[in-house]
Parts: sequence; structure tokens; C-alpha cells
Amino acid sequence: MDYFLGSVKLMLIVYALAAFISMLVAWAIKLIFAGIRRRNTAEAPSKPAGSAPGKVS
Amino acid sequence: MPEIDILYIFQGIATMVASDPTIVAGRIVLIFLGIAFVYLGAKGTLEPLIMIPMGVGMSSVNAAVLYLSPTVMGTIFLDPMAAEPAQLMDVLQINFLQPIYTFTFSNGLIACLVFMGIGVITDIGYMMISPMRSMFIALCAELGTLLTFPIAVAMGLTYKEAAAIAMVGGADGPMVLYTSLMLARDLFVPITIVAYLYLSLTYAGYPYLIRLLIPKHLRGIAMDSKHIPSFTKAEKMTFAVVICTLLCLLLPVAAPLFMSFFLGIVIRESGVTPFVEFISGPVLYGSTFFLGLILGVLCEAATILNPKVILLLVLGITALLISGIGGIIGGYIVYWTSGKKYNPVIGIAGVSCVPTTAKVAQKEARDANKFAVILPWAMGANICGVITSAIIAAVYVTLLR
Repeated sequence: MDYFLGSVKLMLIVYALAAFISMLVAWAIKLIFAGIRRRNTAEAPSKPAGSAPGKVS
Repeated sequence: MPEIDILYIFQGIATMVASDPTIVAGRIVLIFLGIAFVYLGAKGTLEPLIMIPMGVGMSSVNAAVLYLSPTVMGTIFLDPMAAEPAQLMDVLQINFLQPIYTFTFSNGLIACLVFMGIGVITDIGYMMISPMRSMFIALCAELGTLLTFPIAVAMGLTYKEAAAIAMVGGADGPMVLYTSLMLARDLFVPITIVAYLYLSLTYAGYPYLIRLLIPKHLRGIAMDSKHIPSFTKAEKMTFAVVICTLLCLLLPVAAPLFMSFFLGIVIRESGVTPFVEFISGPVLYGSTFFLGLILGVLCEAATILNPKVILLLVLGITALLISGIGGIIGGYIVYWTSGKKYNPVIGIAGVSCVPTTAKVAQKEARDANKFAVILPWAMGANICGVITSAIIAAVYVTLLR
């Protein structure tokens, strides 16, 4: 019984950790996206037309 | 003229005559099962890329048992149990598939190569449309991966074995292979086979689950596709590199999987066409082919007749079913919290097999409303599903190894 209860506790810990890390990743995406867009918006008026920032190819 | 023993010439039959009846029955069943896999793969009922090489491997290896010495039976395909360096050197020179097994399969390299290929065919831009919602759905779709763990323990498996079979709920073949190699090496053959079998079968079953749990008027909800933001290649590469580094920093044990997946994404977005063509072609298809073939060859009767296989079959389908239901519950939660504008069918795409479940979601939505386009959001949930599966695999391996 202890072994089974241990697995339930472990399951909750795994889910909590996975949820924390996954949401951290989602927040990182949102933050980076917001940062890039803000920088591009700030740079856009000072750049000549056609020099799209951040384009690789 | 020497005396000729017919059974000595036809050793496949001789070993059948001399074997235990259970093994003989197992060999015969597996030979026919292999042939059935080839037929169903060619017909399109099962995934042909895996099932055709797997079926041929399975039927061949169970037919080709011979006497390696006067008392020892085996095959000259590969020996999954060879571990001692001297023994390994011997089998590497005898068994024709042993080099591929030892140098790509048993160390998880083949899983990483498949993951790299998946990365190259994945557009991470879909994930960036709505990362919080997509990640939430993906977490809900991991319900099977989590609930199956205590269920498996209650049914008598150890924590490591339970975690390995529970990963089937993530519906990601390479991930199951990687986790079972790390945690339950003795069971990784049946677990991986169960996983790939169910991944082929269950995608045919998910449409029925969607229709059972989501009424037609909700399945046909059209999403607002006019305001999908576009992302530059540089932005996508930045996301991929930053997230890869973050995940490797947090969970180094799964760093090979994270690196392979995000490297694929970076190569895709970098626009280096020869690399893209190489990884999405020879690397992805080559790895998938040999993965199927090795899985088939590993299906020897002696390996498969493990008493735990029936248990693994039950737990595997349980994991996938709960994950599908979890994904749909996630879809419903987002539907309610978004003011009923979100199509709950997207939830099934949180079960991470890129891009199959996303395509299933799109097809079901289109069948209900021919103007409903949900693929971009479904792909977002799908890619998040890959990431959450890798995170859960890494947490299990870190805590239990």
C-alpha cells in the first residue's frame, strides 16, 4: 500500500514539475516575442524601407 | 557420401521440433503477425513506414532460428542481451544487424535522429500563436502519462517499469524508446513494440473519441484565422535556441532529445537547404526504416513471451485513452475560458505525435463545418505536446534512474 501511495505522490510531483517547466517555457516564448516585437517597433522608424530587421533569408 | 539429416539442413524447422511448445506456438503466431503487419501497413490501416519493415523483421527472425552450437538455439540477426565487451565483439562480427542495434538503438541515437527529423518538419511558428493555451492543452493531454503510472504500480510493476510504460500516454515513439532504455532496459523491447503498435492503431480510434465526447456544433467552431501573427525566421530561431538552452539547463538527462528536436527546428529556419533535405530525407526515413526493422527483429518469441506483455498491452491502451480524454477536457476548459470561441477538438492535438493528431483534429472540425480551419492551433498544441512529453520523460528519468 505504501508503495502505491508513494507512486501517487510521485505522480503529483512529476505533474507539478512538468507543469512548472512547461509554463516557464510558454512564458519565455511570450517574453522573447514581446521583446523582439518591441525592439523591432522601436527600430522601424529609423531604418530605411526594405531592410526588414531579423530576416535571415 | 556423407549421411544427410534433413532436419540439420532445414534448421528453422528443426529448432521448432526441438523447442518448448509455448515457444513454437509463439514463433508461429509472430510469423503470421509479421505478415499481417506488412499487409495492414501496405493497405494503410497501420503506419506503413514502421509496420512494413517491422513485419518483415518479425516474421523473418521467428522463422530463422538455428543451432548456434549443438545445444544453443538463436539467430544471426542480433543479440539484444549481449553486454560484456568480449561477447559484444563476438556478436558484432557475426550478427548482421548487431552494429546498427549496438551503435544506434541501444544508446538511444536512433530516437534522437527521428526527433531531429521531426524538428526539421515542424514549424515552431504554430506554437508561438498562443503558447499559454497550447501548453495548457498539452499538459492536460499528458493525463494518461501521469495516471497510468500509479495504475501500473498497483498492477505490480516497479516504479521504473511503470514510468516507462506510462510514457506511451505521450504518444511519442522515440520518447517511449528513450525512457524505457533509461529506466526499464529488460522491458524496453515489449514496451517499445506496444507503443508503436498502439500509436498506429489509436490514431484510427481518436476520431471516434472526439465524436463521442464533443457534439457536432462544437466540433465545427471556426477559429479566427485572419489575425494569426507571422514570425520571421530569426524570431523562430531565437525561440528555438533559447528554449533548447533553458530545457537542457533544467533537465540535462533529456538534453540529447531536446537538442535533437530544436536543432532540427533551427536547421529548418536557417534555410540551409542541403541540411534540411538531408535530415528530412535520408536521416528521418533511414532512422524510421531501421527503427521499424530492429523492432521487428527484436520480436523473437523468447523475448515477447514475457508474462508482463499482456499487462503492458492493457496499460498502453489505458494511457493513450486517458491522454485523449485529458486533451479533450483541456480543449473544453479553453473553450469555456475563451468565451466559447475556441474549438475544443484542438484538445486532442495535445497528444503529441506530430502532425498526426493535429491532422485528425482538423479533419474532424472540417467534417462538422467545411469552413472550420483549426490546423494552426492544433499544430501549436501538438508541438507543445512534444515538449511536455520530453519534460515529463526527463522528470521521470531524473527522479527514478
